Amino acid sequence: MTAPTDQHREGKKDVTFRIFRFNPQVDSKPYFDDYTIQVERGITVLRSLNYIKEHIDASISFRAFCQAGICGSCGMRVNGLSQLACTTQVWDVLAKSREPGIIKVEPLRNLPLIKDLIVDMDPLVDKMKHYSNWIDSTMPESSMGKKEFLISEEEFLRYDKATDCILCASCVSECSILRANKEYVSPAVLLKSYRMNVDSRDAIHGERLAELVKDHGVWDCTHCYRCQESCVKSIPIMDAIHGIREDAIELRGMKDTSGSKHAEAFMSDIEKKGKLVEATLPIRTNGIVWTLQNLLPMAVKMIMKRRTPPPPPLVKSAKGIKIFREMFREMTEHVRQDHKSHKK
Amino acid sequence: MKPFDIVIVGGGGAGLYAAMEAMKTNPSLNIAVLSKVYPNRSHTSAAQGGANAALGNKAKDDTVEMHIFDTIKGSDYLADQDAVDVLCSEAPKIIRELENMGTPWSRMEDNTIAQRPFGGAGRPRCCYCSDKTGHTILQTLYEQCLKKGVIFFNEYFALNLSVKGSRSRGLIAMNMKTGNVEAFPARTVILATGGYAKMYWNRSSNAAGNTGDGQAIAYRAGIPMKDMEFVQFHPTGLRKSGLLVTEGARGEGGYLINRNGERFMARYAKEKMELGPRDLVSRSLETEILEGRGFDSPAGKYLHLDLTHLGADLIKSRLPQIREMCMQFEGVDPIDEPIPVRPTAHYSMGGIDTDNFTRTIMEGVYAAGECACVSVHGANRLGGNSLLDILVFGRIAGHTAAEEAGKFEPGNISEAELKEHVEEMRGGMHASGHHERYGELREELGQTLALNVGIFREASLLKRGIQDIAELKERFKKVRVTDTSDVFNTNLMQVLELKNMLDLAETVAAGASAREESRGSHTRIDFPVRDDAKWHKHTLATRVKGNVVLGEKPVTMGRYELQERTY
Repeated sequence: MTAPTDQHREGKKDVTFRIFRFNPQVDSKPYFDDYTIQVERGITVLRSLNYIKEHIDASISFRAFCQAGICGSCGMRVNGLSQLACTTQVWDVLAKSREPGIIKVEPLRNLPLIKDLIVDMDPLVDKMKHYSNWIDSTMPESSMGKKEFLISEEEFLRYDKATDCILCASCVSECSILRANKEYVSPAVLLKSYRMNVDSRDAIHGERLAELVKDHGVWDCTHCYRCQESCVKSIPIMDAIHGIREDAIELRGMKDTSGSKHAEAFMSDIEKKGKLVEATLPIRTNGIVWTLQNLLPMAVKMIMKRRTPPPPPLVKSAKGIKIFREMFREMTEHVRQDHKSHKK
Repeated sequence: MKPFDIVIVGGGGAGLYAAMEAMKTNPSLNIAVLSKVYPNRSHTSAAQGGANAALGNKAKDDTVEMHIFDTIKGSDYLADQDAVDVLCSEAPKIIRELENMGTPWSRMEDNTIAQRPFGGAGRPRCCYCSDKTGHTILQTLYEQCLKKGVIFFNEYFALNLSVKGSRSRGLIAMNMKTGNVEAFPARTVILATGGYAKMYWNRSSNAAGNTGDGQAIAYRAGIPMKDMEFVQFHPTGLRKSGLLVTEGARGEGGYLINRNGERFMARYAKEKMELGPRDLVSRSLETEILEGRGFDSPAGKYLHLDLTHLGADLIKSRLPQIREMCMQFEGVDPIDEPIPVRPTAHYSMGGIDTDNFTRTIMEGVYAAGECACVSVHGANRLGGNSLLDILVFGRIAGHTAAEEAGKFEPGNISEAELKEHVEEMRGGMHASGHHERYGELREELGQTLALNVGIFREASLLKRGIQDIAELKERFKKVRVTDTSDVFNTNLMQVLELKNMLDLAETVAAGASAREESRGSHTRIDFPVRDDAKWHKHTLATRVKGNVVLGEKPVTMGRYELQERTY
């Protein structure tokens, strides 16, 4: 990185970094500052920020530590997408940038803002504590250090990928549920919970699971997959979320939560009709009392606007339902078999 | 603030193990861990390879005794043999303990912890979890500390020990979130802040924060530093960032090439070529650059690590991480182009002088991990022994401090003293008369160290290095902090880190200049051989009236006599 001189030299471009600024001591609301520097091919967003901080404006505040993609400190939004500044190439971002030559840098979402690009990580740590994101070993502390647990490569592979998580909070920032409900468990915490649950050394997966199926827990996820798409370590986070749900229904018999009932109702509708019977879905999920208390006003409004779904007897089965049922049975059997071998 | 029994500075492997062990030793103690980052961000996470322990899972005939010998030989006989005994004897127990707590180790076919061969080890005894061993160990320790309810003060930057007479009364630290300078009165303090190799700045593989804060704090308090001149260089760091391209790339058949297109290792290690020992390969790259056979770039001179002949399939299947790293950090795909590399500083063997129980000469102050020098690594550390060091001695520090805390009075730090520390810290840094740019000073420090106190050292170079550091220290007195805010003033923190690096750089250069021999990582062109008669001893560096005063300490010998180190 050199001073901006010859624009036409190969492998160099003038780039404007539009940086989110907010200092709680003086600013009533956030604003953006533009910094234009010449960037060489191969330079990351973090190196550009470091350059700006060292040469133009030392007051820009952001976290950075290992600068090698393993510590997770420099999570931020670059052109709208949460990622690590240290592993993001400026030229890659420019190639996809809507405004040519401009890179917008903002703090992560869904965590309290402290200053500029720095957000408070404490809420995430508190959730890790709340959902016991640790192994509570079946071995008493006094016996530790004497012999190893024998663990198969197969078991190791079950949580290997999940242990790649560096808690950068990109998934937290992208999560659509957290935008509406800050108390929601968070994708990263679900991932860690899953990693603990499938570890045979852990003694408290029952208790952890019981906590996970409560309000703001695993059933609140709406499968938008944004966590998984944004994961800087390409961890299949949704597999973990599905894994916890399956575990809750199949193994722990936690069929009495609204989330599990919702899932069961979906399954049964799809099996019988090939589509949803929406009119009774809230009753089957949350019960008649809850539905009357919470949804009656909305139902009345919907009736007034003639937007009510048809009552159950009038819901016709989808076209080709016979072939579909056959496929459905085959699929569920396949999943069941898969589970058996998985749990062995 | 209520006085603590133990204040631990640093939340990496050593600090977290110390916290856990101290709580186990005496659950009634009031313990706090301070860290300038969230503990799970600590540099322990960057250790990929693994931790050595003679479990005998892979090689049934491996023994603790063999591990001891390999470590002593690797240290070029500068390690203290009783300390190495502790390190290696405790190793199997501590690896199993971590396993029992939930660390996800890779597994052997018989379901035991997997082990692999590592440089300088006679048997495959390096326990690992893929290429993320340090990361998974750090996660496990952090999780266990959360489980135990350890009290964390995250994003607190440690400034100074509060010293009265021969003992410490606690710690002074800045809360980054508020900018407030706070007192942590404590019976005991454990320093576990990691290494100082980042002083080589762009010529270092270390995290930005490995600035030797703990060592500098101890040094300013009058505690001696030991063997500071021993800094390990890794042969293949990426040109721009200094990040490591692991030995695996050469193991798979990568070539090192100079600007004339030569595989230059033929000149230095005809048989082993690119797979010679780490210090030899580092010296070879440096020689090529010094003799003008390197490539030029604005980011400095470099050489090529060429993998293109290995083919896309092999690179994608065996070196996927390296490929990803090269693309992310250098913008180079090793399938199509050679990787620009040069040697990079990556580990500090030296540190705070401690005994085998992690005690320093100051009552109530302990040190562990890369921050300390027991010494188990001597003049050269073996791969797989650094994670082990932080675990074993982190635990010992926690245990010792917990046992001894009762001996010391509860610390107390007066408001007046606190004010002095604040004034010392801010010392005119915002004033308009202050004009020096910290970024420039930091980069110049890295440059002079790499050039004059780097892989090859020589009397006139070292003299130059010492002068440069002195000038930089002088210029630092006029350093300017432009950010005047209290909340998360990273500008101020980086300036204070620079101050720590400058203080320590002086001890590294002084030690290197005094030691007129070549041993382990310390290579003197003017004194090319090991000189046991004169130099088989530790260097001590103590601060007296602001200056480095060198002393010495004998090496503790044991079952192994001095031998020539050949591989």
